[in-house]
Amino acid sequence: MSSLATAKPTAAMSIDDRSMLTPPVHDLVRVENLRIQFPPWNAPVRIIEDVSFQVRAGETMGIVGESGSGKTLSSLAILNLLPPPARITGGRIMFDGEDLAAKSQGEMQKLRGRRLAMVFQNPGYSLNPLMTVGAQLGEILKVHEKMPRSMALQRVEELFRLVGITDPGSRLSQYPHEMSGGMKQRVCIARALLCNPALVLADEPTTALDVTIQAQILDLFEDLKARFGMSMIFVTHDMGVVARIADRITVMYAGQVCETGDKHAIFARPSHPYTQALLASTPRIDRRYAIDGEGRRERLPTVGRAVAPGQSLGGGCRFAGRCPEAAPECSRLVPQAAAIEPGRVVHCLKRGSAGVASHD
Amino acid sequence: MRIFVFLTRRMIFAALLMLGVSAAIFFLVNSIGNPIELMMAETPGMTGEVIDRMKAYYGLDHPPMTRYLLWLSRIAQLDFGTSIVYNQPVGSLIVTWGWQTLKIQLPAILIALAIAILFGVTAARRQHSRSDFAVMATALLGQSLPAFFLGILLIFIFSYSLDWLPSYGAYSTRNPLWGSPTLDALWHMVLPVAMLTFFNTATLTLLMRSNMVDVLKSDFIAAMRASGIPERRVIYVHALRAAFIPMLTYLGLLIGLMLGTAPVTESVFTWPGLGYLYISAIHQLDYPVIMGASAVIAFMLICTTLLTDVIYVLIDPRISLE
Repeated sequence: MSSLATAKPTAAMSIDDRSMLTPPVHDLVRVENLRIQFPPWNAPVRIIEDVSFQVRAGETMGIVGESGSGKTLSSLAILNLLPPPARITGGRIMFDGEDLAAKSQGEMQKLRGRRLAMVFQNPGYSLNPLMTVGAQLGEILKVHEKMPRSMALQRVEELFRLVGITDPGSRLSQYPHEMSGGMKQRVCIARALLCNPALVLADEPTTALDVTIQAQILDLFEDLKARFGMSMIFVTHDMGVVARIADRITVMYAGQVCETGDKHAIFARPSHPYTQALLASTPRIDRRYAIDGEGRRERLPTVGRAVAPGQSLGGGCRFAGRCPEAAPECSRLVPQAAAIEPGRVVHCLKRGSAGVASHD
Repeated sequence: MRIFVFLTRRMIFAALLMLGVSAAIFFLVNSIGNPIELMMAETPGMTGEVIDRMKAYYGLDHPPMTRYLLWLSRIAQLDFGTSIVYNQPVGSLIVTWGWQTLKIQLPAILIALAIAILFGVTAARRQHSRSDFAVMATALLGQSLPAFFLGILLIFIFSYSLDWLPSYGAYSTRNPLWGSPTLDALWHMVLPVAMLTFFNTATLTLLMRSNMVDVLKSDFIAAMRASGIPERRVIYVHALRAAFIPMLTYLGLLIGLMLGTAPVTESVFTWPGLGYLYISAIHQLDYPVIMGASAVIAFMLICTTLLTDVIYVLIDPRISLE
């Protein structure tokens, strides 16, 4: 599953030669210089710093990064649902030509579940334990489409069938605790698709599932994408998963973008030192990492040292502390986007990025 | 069908529990000593013969085990004996005085619950804000303030200084307020109910807030918001329902024990309630009243606990009848 060779060629393989400086009009989502901060406001904690990426209509953007890299916050920011006291303090989130970050909660509420939908990490916790799944999905249709109950339940049943739930009619009256983890995640996916959204945000939707179920759910996502044609932002820390599901990839580290580009290009020619280290540390099935018959051993490469603690979310490149190629200016200057190939952008002073002194 | 099996099993258990509690009540009170000897022995001119006759009158000449079985068979027929002090049937004393306690306890619990939901939810939604801090501080004060102190403070402000509300009793002895006994009774209820409400609100608000904080952090609330369910519905229908479930246990205890939990309030306001009767019965060694009231309070607690369990099964689908 983690091998690139099995990935099907997709439309996004043919990279057009647009420059990132002139964003194309058919981008469904354009996150521009997004900044998210936590209090104290006189010296805010800069969780997300100048994050930009685009999602085209019908494509899947994989956001990859380790825990704490800000993948989940970025996707919650698109829904304007940041957990307080986190706040968007800069940048724009353009969706369908409108800035979501500037919208009121009331306006956002009309978009959520209808045009934008989300699938959460843990299906066990993301369904209301006190309601039957039919009732809780039906409520969403009642809110957005003003559907009467019987019609809403019919629609839910139809979607249950689409996401591969066996015996969908009788599942409607079941409670979440009566279902398996994989089944619950199918219900959550059906919930996201109820109103035929333009964008689905999937936040590690396979992480809480065991590996065989993971494969089924990934198949389902691919199938549904082909059927519904929606765009998707797929957040994960699993390189294998992203290799399979994504068209393009954004690699994040500690709230900064490392690089963005076509999946095949990034896997074939990782540019940013972090991406290189991340890919090198992915175990390969054709290598042995333990002691072999002759007593030789090969260690699985790791990304050096530990993740920078939250307090050091300061100026410069945040990976500098762990980077094998770091130069003194790396911890001082923030690397800007540099186009290295058509449709590919990297943020690294060593790869030709311009450096800008930190804001503080 | 399963609910009947469940109920039968639980009721048999409740009956056994009640039997055990009744034995505990009887033998503990019995261990104080023979009340006739304790009360009469020091009286001048009291002869042994008179004491024996009094023991026979109150049925105290039998051995304890016989008296226990006798008492048990009588309370099974709702006959709790006769009060030594009031010389009235204990059953009717409990009904009369207990009704007065219910009159102030039930409104206090209901009002407190309403305030706790309002304040608890507000505080939880703005966790760590100033309003949250104000609610928490007031609730903590309410939990730590000695009960009698608040009672005296209320009397000092509203009865003594402002002269708005009566400071004692359940009704006026001579001229009822505005010529209406109903309004007069309500007027007398205000201060005791306020005092009980304050203490109930304190605990219930803290519980409500902490449950709500937990629920609001849960993924299913985030998922509902992400699905575009209106915020008011998310909070006051879905989150509130989930946050309310753990409160049931405490509410069950509050209601189950309410006959016996207001003695301080009833003493401060000289309210003719069961708690007041109970305390004075202990002072005067009115043992039929002590035993009767204890048995009734224990019975009510056992009933409400059973009821709480049934309600849990009805409102939380994750709890089955097994």
